[in-house]
Amino acid sequence: MRFELIRRDRASLEMALMAPVLALLAAGLVSWALFAAMGVPAGRALWTIAATPFSTWYDFSEVLVKTAPLLLIAQGLAIGFRARVFNIGAEGQLLIGAICASAIPVLLPSAGSPLLWVAMMALGMVGGAAWAAIAAFWRTRLNANEILVTLMLSLIAAQILTYLLLGPWKDPMGMNFPQTRMFQPGALLPGLLPGTRVNLSLLFGVAATIAAYVFMQRSVTGFRLIVTGTAPRAAGYAGVSAARGVWLSLLISGAAAGLAGAAEVAGPLGQLQRSISQGYGFAAIIVAYLGGLHPVGIAVSSLVMSAIYIGGDNAMVFADLPQSAVLVVQGLLLTFYLIAATFVRYRIAWTGTARA
Amino acid sequence: MTPGATSGPASGQPEAGHPEPPRQGSQPEPGCDVPLLRLRGVSKSYGAVQANRGVDLTVMPGSIHAILGENGAGKSTLMKMIYGVEAPDAGQIEWNGAPVALTSPSEAGRLGIGMVFQHFSLFDTLTVLENVALVVPGSPRRLAARIATLGRDYGLQVDATEYVGALSVGERQRVEILRCLMQDPRLLILDEPTAVLPPQMVTRLFSTLRVLRDRGVSILFISHKLDEIRELCDAATVLRDGQVTGHADPRDTDTRSLTRMMIGRDLPPALPAEPGGAEGAVQLQLSQLDWTNPDPYAPDLRGIDLKLRGHEIVGIAGISGNGQSELCALISGETRLPTRAAGAIALRGQSVGAMGAAGRRALGLAYVPEERLGHGAVPEMTLWQNALLTAQSRGLTRRGMVDRRAALRFAQDCIAGFDVRTAGPEAEAGSLSGGNLQKFVVGREIMLAPSVLLVEQPTWGVDVAAAAEIRRRLIEMRNAGCAILVISEELDELFEICDRLHVLHDGRLSPSLVTARTTPEEVGEWMIGAGRPDAAPAGKGGGTGPARPGSSGTNADRPDTARPDSARPAPSHPDRSDPAAEGPGAGAASEGSDHAV
Amino acid sequence: MTHTRRAFLGTASAAGLAAALPLRASAQDALQIALMVPSPAADVGWSRTLLDGTEAAAGAVGGEVTFLESISEGPDADRIMQRAVSNGARFVILGSFGYMNGGLQLARRFPDVSILHASGYQTAPNFSPFAAKYYQGTYLMGMAAAALSTSGKIGSVSAFAIPELITSINAFVLGAQAVNPEIECSVVWVNSWFDPASEREAAQALISQGCDVLFSNAQDTPSVISVAEEAGVYAFNLNSPMKSYAPEKYLGVVGTDWAPFFTAQAQAHVDGSFEGANHYLGMEDEVVYVSDWTPDIPADIKTRIDQTQAEIVSGAFNPMTGPLTDQSGTVRVEDGVTMTRDEIQAMDWHVAGVTTPLPN
Repeated sequence: MRFELIRRDRASLEMALMAPVLALLAAGLVSWALFAAMGVPAGRALWTIAATPFSTWYDFSEVLVKTAPLLLIAQGLAIGFRARVFNIGAEGQLLIGAICASAIPVLLPSAGSPLLWVAMMALGMVGGAAWAAIAAFWRTRLNANEILVTLMLSLIAAQILTYLLLGPWKDPMGMNFPQTRMFQPGALLPGLLPGTRVNLSLLFGVAATIAAYVFMQRSVTGFRLIVTGTAPRAAGYAGVSAARGVWLSLLISGAAAGLAGAAEVAGPLGQLQRSISQGYGFAAIIVAYLGGLHPVGIAVSSLVMSAIYIGGDNAMVFADLPQSAVLVVQGLLLTFYLIAATFVRYRIAWTGTARA
Repeated sequence: MTPGATSGPASGQPEAGHPEPPRQGSQPEPGCDVPLLRLRGVSKSYGAVQANRGVDLTVMPGSIHAILGENGAGKSTLMKMIYGVEAPDAGQIEWNGAPVALTSPSEAGRLGIGMVFQHFSLFDTLTVLENVALVVPGSPRRLAARIATLGRDYGLQVDATEYVGALSVGERQRVEILRCLMQDPRLLILDEPTAVLPPQMVTRLFSTLRVLRDRGVSILFISHKLDEIRELCDAATVLRDGQVTGHADPRDTDTRSLTRMMIGRDLPPALPAEPGGAEGAVQLQLSQLDWTNPDPYAPDLRGIDLKLRGHEIVGIAGISGNGQSELCALISGETRLPTRAAGAIALRGQSVGAMGAAGRRALGLAYVPEERLGHGAVPEMTLWQNALLTAQSRGLTRRGMVDRRAALRFAQDCIAGFDVRTAGPEAEAGSLSGGNLQKFVVGREIMLAPSVLLVEQPTWGVDVAAAAEIRRRLIEMRNAGCAILVISEELDELFEICDRLHVLHDGRLSPSLVTARTTPEEVGEWMIGAGRPDAAPAGKGGGTGPARPGSSGTNADRPDTARPDSARPAPSHPDRSDPAAEGPGAGAASEGSDHAV
Repeated sequence: MTHTRRAFLGTASAAGLAAALPLRASAQDALQIALMVPSPAADVGWSRTLLDGTEAAAGAVGGEVTFLESISEGPDADRIMQRAVSNGARFVILGSFGYMNGGLQLARRFPDVSILHASGYQTAPNFSPFAAKYYQGTYLMGMAAAALSTSGKIGSVSAFAIPELITSINAFVLGAQAVNPEIECSVVWVNSWFDPASEREAAQALISQGCDVLFSNAQDTPSVISVAEEAGVYAFNLNSPMKSYAPEKYLGVVGTDWAPFFTAQAQAHVDGSFEGANHYLGMEDEVVYVSDWTPDIPADIKTRIDQTQAEIVSGAFNPMTGPLTDQSGTVRVEDGVTMTRDEIQAMDWHVAGVTTPLPN
């Protein structure tokens, strides 16, 4: 027997909904076998990964803390991805956003306004958008591949951050450690749920989700962006400007990533330091695709992804699972999802071996 | 005799000496009863689509056998199975009386089956010799000698040192055939070989094929053009919806019965072309339009002059790849001219050369492009979303938001009004058959009530009845005052609906020819770049441009392009009162009237 | 107010979790020790020595170890250390300076938890920074390096330009100058504790500049050592021996053995006598040691090295003794003056002889 993939007449909604579930099940099954082979109590390890993020209020609040930046960045990226504009450098835009936001408390350490954070968020968005605009400029002017440009700009952003932390912005009282001084209270995002680290950035993520939904599913501009991505010639035919799509995609995703960076330094960190992002810029790419590039799907996938991170960390604490095993679970999940997602548009047909 | 087509000194009628047969000793005995190729009950399906169902086919040695059918009838799939590209789901293939399993083209080649594809498999950046050497073993010197010998024997002369990118389509086809012949085939499959040729070159190809047949090579000739088949073939197998609907000897079967086998019923009666109404105002004017193509292998547009008025349909004939897609993009606004040249295109009196597609649409232009999927429609989107693509101005949006209900209604109207067979406005465009999607796109653009309608290949891939309906709609539009420009490769169609014709060849537009007073032969002359019947091209005649319409393939024949002399009056053929009944096929000129649509 | 509330929530969540997951129920009495490090625990290196020391301490006081590896510094680290404490850990060892702020918050929230924090500078009643006097060992390595270098150029691949590492380089150069006053040292900062690719590149760059003895300064991988071996130049590293990665050209190791210190601190925690203090530990504390010397060192130099080592252990000699001039030629420590411990722990300048300027 051989099999082949046959394109479905139309995307299967059932499959689109089932794909994440199937991926979760398959990843769970394979990890279970893997853990068992490693001699780790597999059931407990998986239980820890899957259940502990939701088992206590504290854990769930930490899931939300992690969801906020992922959600924000992924919603921005997904808009670009649907227009086939691949901003791979959200990590860099996040760093620049964090740097721009930090400029206020670092350069004005005595500023006492309780609303400093508002200006910081604005500056972060502008910074992230400006960083992404560099890629938009080169793409529309010289047709330079935005994947490479944004990715390379991430490396530059990381170097700028290192430079600032080792040099001009170094905490004068910090014994040469590469970090800025702790920000004053007015430069910190207000908390959202007392007693947890959940702060306003979660609301930014929710707002971004609603905005993305209206923009992509309802607005004419969003419709045009999608056309540019799905059928560039049809876009030209309908008079939609491809360059405008590139600018719009990169500015939106850059601003979202910049805001996420600003919210991180003004949120759980409270200072600018080397490890601002925990890889959010890259993880958000996965989140965006896991969510099927749909605003609602992304809201779910960012929550699932954060839960897996938290669960994985917990598994290290509770179940003596090595870090690499946690990464394997995450990798399996993504792999199985991508396989399952294939069946949204394709189905398997078994063909006989009959030959003339 | 078609004027000029084979009369040139270098056209190479194979009369030189006694050339060797392609495969010594393998010539079948005349009257041999063992079929060369036999298919029994062959079936093939792609998912839900049954491409072939229980097909029986018998090809005798030394025969030119036609496979006849409409677009989508399953001809190409059948040939792919014979050539080993696809494996049948069921059934048996016999070669010389013995069952064979054709698992790959090389396996088929070993048995002696060669295939000339509709879309050539040649590398533009290699020479003819290098392209041949990729497939045929042997030293370059010996290959070159064989190319020369075979070319002489079969009328397939090409310059072996020329780059394929510089060849005309006719020459490329010759290279493909030569390459097959060098592998000594017993069976040669030709997939719609005349689709890319002007009438004159068709005659020449037929001579070559007859010589091949006389030397024992069987030929499977795929076509949907009845006149050609009746002229050339000695057997025909007709396919419809993947099934064999009949076997016939086309030499003594009339076109009407072949048509019935092909489409399952008689053709609808032809809609008489009403004479053009009163001369309307000029709606679209091209004045000395020049455009340099960024693709070095595609033609530049030079000095194009065109006037399109309300109440008329103007056709642009010509073989694809002579600048049609470039011209359409320039008119539609998908390609913009620099501001200083903007005046070369005027839409309803306004210079629009530098304006984008959206602006021109706002001025009343609508456009049906040749490529439906991905150009005229987004396959992954639903029909109502595809309605939104160009019909936003028809009240489908509100304050920057999509009015989904209005778009659904628009799509529903289009589906109902143009008989689009689909599940409804929520169906994805990609799920519609080519013909139905074409009806949707044509319908959508007509519903925009444009002042100027640009239509490329209006009935490409559409079944006969739907094609007739589309043509009827276009004529209705014209009668209502719309200015319509139709770009098509189908001469029959242009003759049926157009008031005037131009021919585009190598990026230059012929002067206007009044349809009622010209002939397919005259148009054919313009198609190959000869302005007058007595200036027929010789060795390098043939078509131009790439095989695939709309692609930016190559073009050639620039050296011997005959410049249209716009001062030359169109030759008058007052006896042609019914141009719509005229077939384009070269050999059909004298007998084409039974091919009416 | 916030603190008490958070403490309450933390305890509540721990209780909730304990109800949901009967984890570690068997070990209520044993001391739960958590060790958090930024890099994975390889066979060798910083994380490995900390883990060895932690396990030794656990063995001595009858505790259990939860090992948290590859935890990047930032919000994740804060959460995970909090989680470990909620899960019962009462003695926490934080293996990176970047865990400082989170660790201090944790210490405030959980007064009954004792925390040791590597390389930091802040102290709280239940929060003690600790560091090793690597400079004692790197001084001796410098003496050997100068004797073996033919080019007169030595180099260091270093993690971060923090005082601890700057001091190690300075002592390395001072030791080398004690043998060859003309010697020069180049430094590449890779800004990572654990980045094999960058470390390899940096080591190759130094070798191509002519450096023929390399100092792998606080790198947690054997990359520099194995690159040096391939290129045929000497190299040494900190924390744990890596001779297996460079059988021919291994200069030696400035090792650390945390077992005595961790055991003492864990015992203090059990006894209730844990006090926040800045622990700066050296050869005299049996935390820092040198070993695995290459046999290629000339006998007379080796004798001098052994003598110097004995003087360091006895306190008769401190490498950080004037006259010390900085890179600009300014005298920073007068002749005969020994830098104080605070000065050493805050040293943010290079001595003359280091050719690379400090990143600024």
